[in-house]
Amino acid sequence: MIGCYDFCGHYEWTFAWIEKNFGHDVLLAYWKEAIAEDSQIHASQLIKEKGFAGMEEYWGHTLAEEGAAYTSSCGKDSFRIDMHDCPSKGFLLANGLSQHKDYCDHCIGWIGPMMKNAGFVVDHEHNHLGKCWWSYRRVGEARQPSDPKAATSNIEAMPGWAPSSAKIDRFNGATGADQKQA
Amino acid sequence: MLPYRDSKAQGAADFYFAINATFRFLKRRFGIEKLVKYWSELGESSYFQPVAESWRNDGLPAIAEYWRDFFQAEPNASVDVTYSEQRVFLEVKQCPAIYHLRKNSRCIVSEFCQHCFYVSDALASRAGFEVRIKGGNGACEQTFAKRGSSAPQDLGSIKMADSP
Repeated sequence: MIGCYDFCGHYEWTFAWIEKNFGHDVLLAYWKEAIAEDSQIHASQLIKEKGFAGMEEYWGHTLAEEGAAYTSSCGKDSFRIDMHDCPSKGFLLANGLSQHKDYCDHCIGWIGPMMKNAGFVVDHEHNHLGKCWWSYRRVGEARQPSDPKAATSNIEAMPGWAPSSAKIDRFNGATGADQKQA
Repeated sequence: MLPYRDSKAQGAADFYFAINATFRFLKRRFGIEKLVKYWSELGESSYFQPVAESWRNDGLPAIAEYWRDFFQAEPNASVDVTYSEQRVFLEVKQCPAIYHLRKNSRCIVSEFCQHCFYVSDALASRAGFEVRIKGGNGACEQTFAKRGSSAPQDLGSIKMADSP
């Protein structure tokens, strides 16, 4: 049996297997069809129905279950998450697992299409070291400036965000993993 | 002893949704043959190298220890693992994956239970062992023994999974 305890390990292996056997476009389709539209259909329904409040509800449950260290803030025009210690990437780093070239892309790979379907876009950065931030806004609305009151919890303002070994990937108003900024 | 450690004692059960969805995606897009290939190659992969090595070096006691630790880390699993000199026997009284999928009214890929055979048999073969499975759909019996000691697996004896 393959289980949920080491899920992130065989999930990452699966990305590499799909890409090797069927190509990158099928991996993007896998994140959209299998994860966004099937596995995480409960998230999709919640966010479509309740918007930012649905995001708060979904991530409140799932990140607690996964044991994440994070902060979040829900505003009238945006919902933001700062991931200080990603349990998923953290599992791979702690166990020396690295099968796929960019594991972190899987998150926007499924969240992007889900948000698009619900009428939102994503501003996001990840540093490949278990830290990232996310801000969701409605399609057509301008990107939110960082809330100065939240600056103490904004991950990109903290030590450890960009050590010399970090490669930071950026997404601006994105709805998929293929929209990474050059 | 599990090869990969997490900071939590048990995994997040919602990940069973993704496992089931992965099987469905591969089956729908590429057919059951490719899904079987995925399961077999996962069992043969470097991901399971530490498990294969442990089973090869320490035999049936290591197989028994692995499954005891494995099911302890899976939420809502109820499994008895017994070991004799000839075999390791798993009595899965409540499969944690089928339990969680059913509890959440998820449509379960009908061949879901076959993954246990294909992944575990590919893994066991690297250490000179085999697995034979009877039952499924929430409860089953799995026997690990020296390779070649039993008749080939009859896939018909692995039940198809029902959806709620």
